[in-house]
Amino acid sequence: MLKEAVLYAPISELARQIEAKSLSPVDLTESYLDRSARLGPKLNAYARLMPEAAREQAQAAEKEIRRGHYRGPLHGIPYAAKDLLAVKDVPTTWGAKPFANQVFDYNATVIEHLNHAGAILLGKASMIELAGGMGYKFASASLQGEAKNPWNPDCWTCGSSSGSGAIVAAGLAGFAIGTETWGSIICPSAYCGISGLRPTYGRVSRYGAMALAYSMDKIGPMARSAEDCARIFAAIAGHDFLDRSTLPIDKAAFTYSPANDLKGRSLRVGWLKNAWKQYDPGIAKIMDAAHKVLQKRFPSVKDAQLPEGPWEDAASLILSCEAGSTFGELIRSGKVSELSDPLGRIGGYVQQTVSGSDYNTALRIREILQQKMTELFDSFDVLATASQPIAATPLSADLLSPELTFPDPLGGIGNLCGLPALSVPCGFTDKKLPVGLQFVARAGDDLAVLQAGRVFQQATDWHRRHPTVNS
Amino acid sequence: MTDKNGRVLTRREFAQRAALLSATASLATAEAVLPAPLQDSGSQGGGSITLSEAGQTEADSRYQQILGLYGNRFSDAQKADLKKMCYELQPALDHIRGYALQNGDAPALYLKPLVEREKKPQGSAPAAKKS
Repeated sequence: MLKEAVLYAPISELARQIEAKSLSPVDLTESYLDRSARLGPKLNAYARLMPEAAREQAQAAEKEIRRGHYRGPLHGIPYAAKDLLAVKDVPTTWGAKPFANQVFDYNATVIEHLNHAGAILLGKASMIELAGGMGYKFASASLQGEAKNPWNPDCWTCGSSSGSGAIVAAGLAGFAIGTETWGSIICPSAYCGISGLRPTYGRVSRYGAMALAYSMDKIGPMARSAEDCARIFAAIAGHDFLDRSTLPIDKAAFTYSPANDLKGRSLRVGWLKNAWKQYDPGIAKIMDAAHKVLQKRFPSVKDAQLPEGPWEDAASLILSCEAGSTFGELIRSGKVSELSDPLGRIGGYVQQTVSGSDYNTALRIREILQQKMTELFDSFDVLATASQPIAATPLSADLLSPELTFPDPLGGIGNLCGLPALSVPCGFTDKKLPVGLQFVARAGDDLAVLQAGRVFQQATDWHRRHPTVNS
Repeated sequence: MTDKNGRVLTRREFAQRAALLSATASLATAEAVLPAPLQDSGSQGGGSITLSEAGQTEADSRYQQILGLYGNRFSDAQKADLKKMCYELQPALDHIRGYALQNGDAPALYLKPLVEREKKPQGSAPAAKKS
């Protein structure tokens, strides 16, 4: 089996070795499978491992590369996909008991894209049931149980891409695919000390992905660095005629060139002063240090303010209305009672009582907010703040307790407007739990958040640290 | 965090109005999902939320609507939680309704016209073959 250092190497390094034929995709896959089989169950990280299929893909990749047909930086790289992405003939549970035996006879477009790139699917990552669509108050709201944080297994990974976060942080795969409707990539990336990209709405096809809120769902990479996220994003972004919400070809596609991307414009960074009402004390110190790093790298860093308004209310109402419709049959049939979380069993009934008039009002407010954010981005290329004002929470915590419930205007705004965001690690608390730094940019300018993250990671080594996970 | 009148909201207040938030992510933030069932009970039967008379009537109506459709599905504890959630939803609705909108403020719909209607692709993803 390969050494742990190899399994924690970024894609750029693994790809260089694979292309040079000094690293075998078969060996890499076997090593990740072995590690996943040993550590995955302890972390509740996987919904399902797919060893046979992964070995087939690995052998095919190895043969191709030996013959001189190297597809690109994801060729031969093993990954995990959140268990809401359809994989042909493999159970796709959406993390929920009512769908425990659900099987699709086609692949999600994201899976197809990664197949074409030569990536190797190790298995399906565990997740919060229905991506939290009916609400939840405990980390255990999942068919697989609570996902444990590799940095401290008594703490949670955050959700709903909970398994994806655990898998990347524990070195069980080269990267993972997560999804976000509101916070589900950014929060697990922060809690798990990894890099996660929430792309602009419409850049990544959702065909074959469980819908939660049609106008807010996004699919994105969770990986070891901003550069890795860029490489994965380049493989999965693009217009898809099977998903009409995808942007046109020229606006959806993303190409990545490491050399050129850093030579581009000098980013105007806005340091948000009102994104969080307060930080936990340990986090404030870390954010001050991150602010100083940004000031050194981006001389134009200035304070910035989010516009004020009922954005979170509008976002929550839209999300709830759409979720209440998406899972309408589950609610009406009463099968929602099979969900594991007590809040999830009844939340949908309340969601369905919001009127069409109120939904439309929220959509009108969304339009005004989009205009306000466009004006803000006339002054800044990226906005920066903490990904979360707290670090990973205990597994048994009531997630709706007052001390864990706080305003998140940037999350509401970013997801209401479909803005891209990136979380990168920026330090550790006294309890050795990771803390994330978040960049947000104008819709369509995913490159800006990736550039900001790359520059930050050139100046720091937080993203190179990994937990000691006992087998 | 302030409300539209510039009043600073406490975490608890936010938790109570964060109502509906659903899905997704994490805890604290949005996942804050639905209105949190309150631990305490209030005179309105909807926890400690203070609503206008009209708001209370609307929240009660929402609760009765759920009971009318599905009342036999819930335990007494669930009914109490549902009632509180209906009350906690009301402030969010009041906030968006109170936001100044002009007649010309159109909704931000993520919809695109169907240019080639005759070419309907498999379109929406087919359902699972079994479950």
